[in-house]
Amino acid sequence: MTQTRLLIIDDDPDYVDGIKSILEKADYEVDVAYNPKDGFKALETGKYDLLLLDIMMGRGAEGVMVARKINKDPVLRETPVLIITGVREQIAFLFPGQPVHPRFLPTDELLEKPVDPNLLLEKVEALLKEAKAKKAE
Amino acid sequence: MKKFAYFPGCSLEKIALSYNTSSVETAKILGVELQELEDWNCCGATTYFHVDQLLAYTLVARNLAIAEKEGLDLVAPCSACYKNAYFTNKYIKEEPDLAEHINYALEEDDLQFNGNIDVHHIMDIFVNEVGMDEIKEKVTKPLEGLRVAPYYGCQIVRPRKNGEEIENPQFFEELVSAMGADPADFPERLRCCSASLIMTSRRAALDMVRVILQNAVDSEADVIATACPLCQVNLECYQPQVNDEFGTDYKMPVIYFTQLLGLALGMSKKKLGIGKELVSAAPIFGEF
Amino acid sequence: MAAKPTFSQEISNLLYASKGNPLKTCIQCGTCSGTCPVAEFMDQTPRRLIGMINANLKEDVLACNTYWFCASCYHCTARCPSKIDIAEVMYAVKRYSIWHKTYSEDLVGPTFSETFVRTIVNSGRSFEPVLAPTYMFSMGIKEVLQEAYMGTQMMLKGRMPVLPTKIKRLDNFKEMIRRIIPVGGGK
Ligand code: SF4
Ligand code: SF4
Repeated sequence: MTQTRLLIIDDDPDYVDGIKSILEKADYEVDVAYNPKDGFKALETGKYDLLLLDIMMGRGAEGVMVARKINKDPVLRETPVLIITGVREQIAFLFPGQPVHPRFLPTDELLEKPVDPNLLLEKVEALLKEAKAKKAE
Repeated sequence: MKKFAYFPGCSLEKIALSYNTSSVETAKILGVELQELEDWNCCGATTYFHVDQLLAYTLVARNLAIAEKEGLDLVAPCSACYKNAYFTNKYIKEEPDLAEHINYALEEDDLQFNGNIDVHHIMDIFVNEVGMDEIKEKVTKPLEGLRVAPYYGCQIVRPRKNGEEIENPQFFEELVSAMGADPADFPERLRCCSASLIMTSRRAALDMVRVILQNAVDSEADVIATACPLCQVNLECYQPQVNDEFGTDYKMPVIYFTQLLGLALGMSKKKLGIGKELVSAAPIFGEF
Repeated sequence: MAAKPTFSQEISNLLYASKGNPLKTCIQCGTCSGTCPVAEFMDQTPRRLIGMINANLKEDVLACNTYWFCASCYHCTARCPSKIDIAEVMYAVKRYSIWHKTYSEDLVGPTFSETFVRTIVNSGRSFEPVLAPTYMFSMGIKEVLQEAYMGTQMMLKGRMPVLPTKIKRLDNFKEMIRRIIPVGGGK
C-alpha cells in the first residue's frame, strides 16, 4: 500500500519543522509549501490525501482565500482540510478573547496553535478515515 | 456638469473641513460636481497595511463598490486615501482571485465591485479634467504678487501611478501660475512631511517638518500650499513644537490649494474656511 | 519539495509583488539611504536593512527600529535602480514583527497601529486624537497638542472618552470584515 501523502501550507518554517516531524514519525509522507501560491499549485497536482493549512500568510488571512478556492473546485474539495492556525494570537488585538470561527469552510476541522501532537495525529487520522468512507460510498 | 463620487475621508469630516468645502465649491464653479459617497468608511490610510493588506483592500473596495454602483469615478482629496484607493483598484483589476475573495466579503453589505471605475486625486480633477485654460479663464481675482510654495508631498506622485513624472513634476506650479500667483522655487516640495510618524516618532517627525519649513522660508514663500489634510496639519499645527524643539521662529501659513484657487475665482474667505488656521494667514491675505 | 525558506525568503513570501520585487537584486548602492528623510533617526539605514535581510540576519533585522521609523514616503522605492519596492519591504517586516510578536514594548508604533485598526474595525471611521476636531479650534495650540498627546495616551489605554463617528451600515461592515478575518462574533 502506498504511503498517505499530506501537504502543509504554512509560512512559518520553524513551526512547520515541528509538525512535519510529528507526522513523519507517524509514517506519513509530508510535503510543504511555504506560501499560499506555491501551496495551491502543489495541491492541484492531486497527489495529496489531506491538507494542513495555516491562515495568516502573505498579505493577511490568505489561508481563508486558499480554503475557499479549494471548496469551489469540484475535485479539490474532496481533499480533507485541517486548519492549524495561530490567527487568534496573531491578531488578538482586533478581537480580544473571541473565538476563531471556521465559517468559511464549514465541513473541515480547525486546531489552534500550539497543537498537541496526539491531538494532531488523532484529527489527521479521523479526517482521512472520513474521506475514505465518503469515497467508498 | 461632470460628476464624480467624492470620498472625503476621515480627516475632512472636521479637522480639514475647510479643504472639504473649498474643494466642493471651487469644483462647482469650474463645472464639476463632487457628490459625496454614500455611507463611506475609513480606508485605513497607511496604518492598516502593517497588519493586514487583505483587510485593507476590502475596506477600500467597499468605497469603490459604492462609487461603481453610482456609475461614478472616485475622487479623494487626501493623498493617503488616494494612494490606497488607486492601488486597491489596480490590484483587484489585476488579480481575479483577490477580486473574488473581496467580493465575497462585500456581499455582506449587498455590494460588489467589478473594477469598472477609475480613481483620481482631486488635484488631477483640476489639472486634467478642468485644465489650466479653463481655470485661467475663470480667475477673476488673480493672486498677484503672492509667492506660493507648492508642496506636493509624497503620495500624489509616489509610488508612480500612471507613468507620470515623479522626480520633477510641474503641474502644481502650473496651477499656482494659473491662479495668477507666483510659484516659489521650492526644492523640498517632494520631501515627506512625516505625518505618519508624528504620533510614533515625534523627534524624527519634527525634524522633517523643520526641513520643509526652512526650505519654504529660504525660497521666500509667503505661504505653503498643500493638497493633503495630513500634510497640512503636520506642517502647520506642529510649528510651535518645532520652534520649541529647535529654537526657531516659524510662522509660515499652510493653506489648501483649493482655498487659494477659490480666492482667485472670487469666492469669499469665509466660504473657503480661511481664518481657521492655527498659523494665521491674515497678513498675506489682507489685500485679497 | 520546497526547501526550508531562509529569513529573506520568508520576507519575500510576505510581499504582494514578490515577483517584481527581488530583494536579491540589491546592489547596495545606497540610493535608498541617501534619499530617505528619516535615515539619520534609524538604527540601520534602509540600504543596510536590505543587506541584513539578504544575509538572513533575522534577529538583527527584527531588533532594529528602521521599519517602524519608515514614513512610507516611497521615495526610495521610486529611485532604487534595482526596482526593489523598499517601502513595501518595510511593511512586510512590520507584519512579520506583529505576527510573531517580536517588537519591543517601548515602541509606540505597533501599539498605535493596532489601536488605529481596532477603531476602524469597530466604527467604520478612524479617529486619531491628533486629528480630533473637537479639540483643535476651541483651544490654544499648546493645549491642543498637549491634549492630543494625552488623548493618544488615553486611547492607547482604551480610555478615550470621545467617540468617533460611526458608519450607518456598521453591522454589515463588521460581517464583511469577518469574512476576511475569521475571528470573533459572527451570525
Ligand atoms: S537603492 Fe535599491 S539597490 Fe540601492 S541599496 Fe537601496 S535597495 Fe539596494
Ligand atoms: S519609504 Fe521609508 S525607507 Fe523609503 S525613503 Fe521613505 S521613509 Fe525612508
